[in-house]
Parts: sequence; C-alpha cells; structure tokens
Amino acid sequence: MSTSFDKFQKRKLISSYFSVTISIALVLFLLGTLALLILNTQKLVNHFKEQVAVTVYLKETAKETEIDQLQKSLALADYTKSAEYVSKDEAAEVLMKDLGENFVEFLGDNPLQNSIDIHLKAAYVTPEQLADIALEVKGNTFVDEVSYDVPLVTLLNDNVKKISYGILIASSIVMLIAVLLINSSIRLSIYSKRFIIKTMQMVGATKSFIRRPFIATNIKLGIVGSIIAIAVMTAIMSFLDQKYPELALLQDVQMVSFIFGGIFIFGILISWLSTFFATQRFLNLRTDDLYY
Amino acid sequence: MSETILELNSVSIFQKESLVLSDITLAIDKGEFVYLIGKTGSGKSSFMKTLYGDLPLTQGSGNIVGFDLRTLKEKEIPFLRRKIGIVFQDFKLLPDRTINANLEFVLRATGWKDKSEIERRISEVLDKVDMKTKGFKFPHQISGGEQQRVAIARALLNDPELILADEPTGNLDPQTSVEVMKVLKDINAAGRSILMATHDYALLLKYPSKTLKCDGSKVFEVVQKSA
Repeated sequence: MSTSFDKFQKRKLISSYFSVTISIALVLFLLGTLALLILNTQKLVNHFKEQVAVTVYLKETAKETEIDQLQKSLALADYTKSAEYVSKDEAAEVLMKDLGENFVEFLGDNPLQNSIDIHLKAAYVTPEQLADIALEVKGNTFVDEVSYDVPLVTLLNDNVKKISYGILIASSIVMLIAVLLINSSIRLSIYSKRFIIKTMQMVGATKSFIRRPFIATNIKLGIVGSIIAIAVMTAIMSFLDQKYPELALLQDVQMVSFIFGGIFIFGILISWLSTFFATQRFLNLRTDDLYY
Repeated sequence: MSETILELNSVSIFQKESLVLSDITLAIDKGEFVYLIGKTGSGKSSFMKTLYGDLPLTQGSGNIVGFDLRTLKEKEIPFLRRKIGIVFQDFKLLPDRTINANLEFVLRATGWKDKSEIERRISEVLDKVDMKTKGFKFPHQISGGEQQRVAIARALLNDPELILADEPTGNLDPQTSVEVMKVLKDINAAGRSILMATHDYALLLKYPSKTLKCDGSKVFEVVQKSA
C-alpha cells in the first residue's frame, strides 16, 4: 500500500517538475528562434547593402598605369569588398544585352566610359560615408565622375532602421513574456510548498538554508529545459539546412554557438532569479498571511 | 532553579490591528511546567506566536531564553527558534520526507555536519519518545499520536531550554493525549521548562501544575483547587 502511495507521490513530483521544465524549454526555444531570426536578418541586410555598386567613371585620357594603380588602391581600401575594372567595350556589351539592340552601330560610336565598379562592405553603405568615399576618389585628376544610386542607399538605410526598431520591440516583448511565463510557473511550484517552507522556518532554519535546495532543483530544471530547447532548435535548423542550403544556417559556427550559449545561460539565470524571488516572497510572509 | 527563562512586562498582543491580549506580566523559571488555558479565540495562539517570533512584539517588553523580543531582528528569529522547541497542534512535520529525514533536516539546518553524530542524535531523541523503530516511515504513514511524538522529538533535537507546546493534544484522542502528556512530563522532569497551551481540562486535573488563564484580553494565574 505504501509503495503505491510512494509511486503516486513520485509521479506527482515528476509531473510538476515536468511542466516547469517544458515551459522553460518552450520559452527558451522561442527566444532562440527569435535570436536566429535577428542575426539572419542582419546577414540579409548586409547582403543587400553589399549589392550597392559605386561606379567610378574614368576620363578618356587616363593612362593604363594610373587606372591600374587606382584599381589596386581601391581594392585594398578598408571599405572595399571588391573593385573591378570594366572597360567601355565590356560595358557596351552588357548594355547591348540589356537593350537588345546594337546601339554602337546605331550611334556610330561607343559613348560609354571605362570604369571601376566598387562593391562596399555593408558597414560603409550609408549616405554620409558614401559621399566621403566618392569625394576622395574624385580627387584623382583622371576620374571623370563617381556615381551611385543615392535614393536607393537612403531608402535602404531608412528601411533597415525601421526593421531594426521593429525587431527590437518584438524581441523585448517576447523577452518579457519569456520572463513572466517562466517566473509564474516556478512561482506556482514554490507556492505549492509554502507551508513546508513555513514549517522549515519554524524549526530554526535560516532563509538561505531553506532557499538553497529550491534553487539547486530549479537550476537543474533550467539546465534540462535549455538542453531540450537547444536540441529542438538543432533538429529544426538541420532540417531547414537540408531543405534550404542557401540559408547556410549551420555554417556560421560562431553565431550558432552564441545563440546556444545564450539560451543555456539565460535558462540558468532566469530559473535562479525566479526561484530566489519566489522563495523570498513566502519566506517573508507571516504564517497567517499564507492562507490568503 | 530560580533562573528566569521567560519574562514579560506589560506586554500587549495584537493580531493585525485588533488588540488580543493586553498588559501581560509574567515570568517562567527554569524547570517549570506551565499551562496556558483559555477558550478558543482567547489569544493563546497569538501569545505563543509572539514568543517564537511569528508575531512582532510592539508593546511592552519581553525576554525569552536570552533574546529581547522587542528588539528581535528578522535575522535573529531562526536562532531564537533553535533555543526553544516548538510543538504544534497540527504537528507540522515535513510531509515530503521520512521521520528520519525530518529530524535530519532540522539538525542540518541548525548547523550539524557530522553524519554519524546526526544519526546518533536522531536515535537518541526518537528513543526518548519511544519512536525509534518508525524512523523510516513517512509522516502520513503513522498515527496522529505518533506524529505528535515525532514532533516533540524534533523539538528536543537542539536541547532547548524551553519548549512551547501549542495545544499539542488538540488533535488527539484522550488516551493518546495522556501518552503525549507523559512524554512532556518526562522531559520536564529532565529539567526543561515547558509552556503548554491547552483547553484540555482533563489533562490539567490529571497533571496539575502552575496554570495561566487567558480571558477577556488578560492573562492571569489561576490556582487549582485540588492537587
């Protein structure tokens, strides 16, 4: 008879641990997914920014050595991702393909100029920095004109700002929900033991002595929860990686380990703090207040 | 034998804002056995709670086992409770662990470290209440009288100078009450002071001793007619 009761007790205990662990795992999973989204948005934004081309048009009079030197120095500059020389013949060919019409024959001459196409690193694609770079390059006497899509760059920067704010707000809301959910499930599990906590105080145990096993248990649950969250995320990410290899989800080891490490640490931290404050609350109540 | 262990001077006790007992002045000496009687609601429990620091003392002055109740800080309460043993009407054993683990918790909480000393102490106190063979059981597996005896054993663990018993027989049948009472009497005979709140007048008649009565927000000593 006693064994069946023991089993029942144990099952009750396990199921209460189980629900706390699951709620921690779910919330951490949500947070991790959001972090993944944010970091990948950053990648996507950078990808778009690096598509912006700055074209340096060269004068007809420019010597080959001068062009060569400029191209090399541009290629070596901090802000450059790639710098490529495009001769006016090459440019004409590309344009002819785009227009579907042989305009050189039509005009009797190739009106295009030799140029260098620069693709910048994402961090330098802002209206101000682009203007500076253009000015600097224009300082060379053999450069005729530096051209780039000013409205596009402005638009890109504005939109990125808007999107970042949106993501920031969304993630703070999710973060808040995460903290509240984990906190309330831990608090419930401790609420159910409030009379035990009171009894422990009655026999002369100090607050920190009573709190210690609760914190140890819940940190363990936090660790298990974060491991579950990480496992689920790994499964989903490797599935996505197989389906859409172009996302390169698992290639960025640094990012993935950052997210997983963050989940782990957050899981421990939140369960620790929640337990601390929940136990503190019941430790500070007088016996009569426990019944309300 | 004239060492004072509990001393109250014009103490008033409040439950929230309402006055429960006023102007209590009393002293309990080492080795005394004192009853505290009174109807339910007369303030016995509030009085006891004040003594073990669950209700703050706001009016008057009091001294218990060397602690000043008036200036008692939150942090000192655990240490006050280690010097007094408390026995409750509803036993208040920890339901999630065995009798031995219950007693071990108290010892560990009060700073005992050595495993063999802990075991020795547990079997010592269980022996005193004649519960030595039941240590492996859970509180819900033993009877009320047995639970109360374990609770008394728990109160004895740290060799307290004073034992506060708040209606220890309130949940027990008359025969078991007498058994528990015998245990308390034995402990008293071994030199410890006991303050026992009760409304079980049969016990008073059977084991007469100094008796305080709570009535009409006052506490006063009553003299029993027969011994």
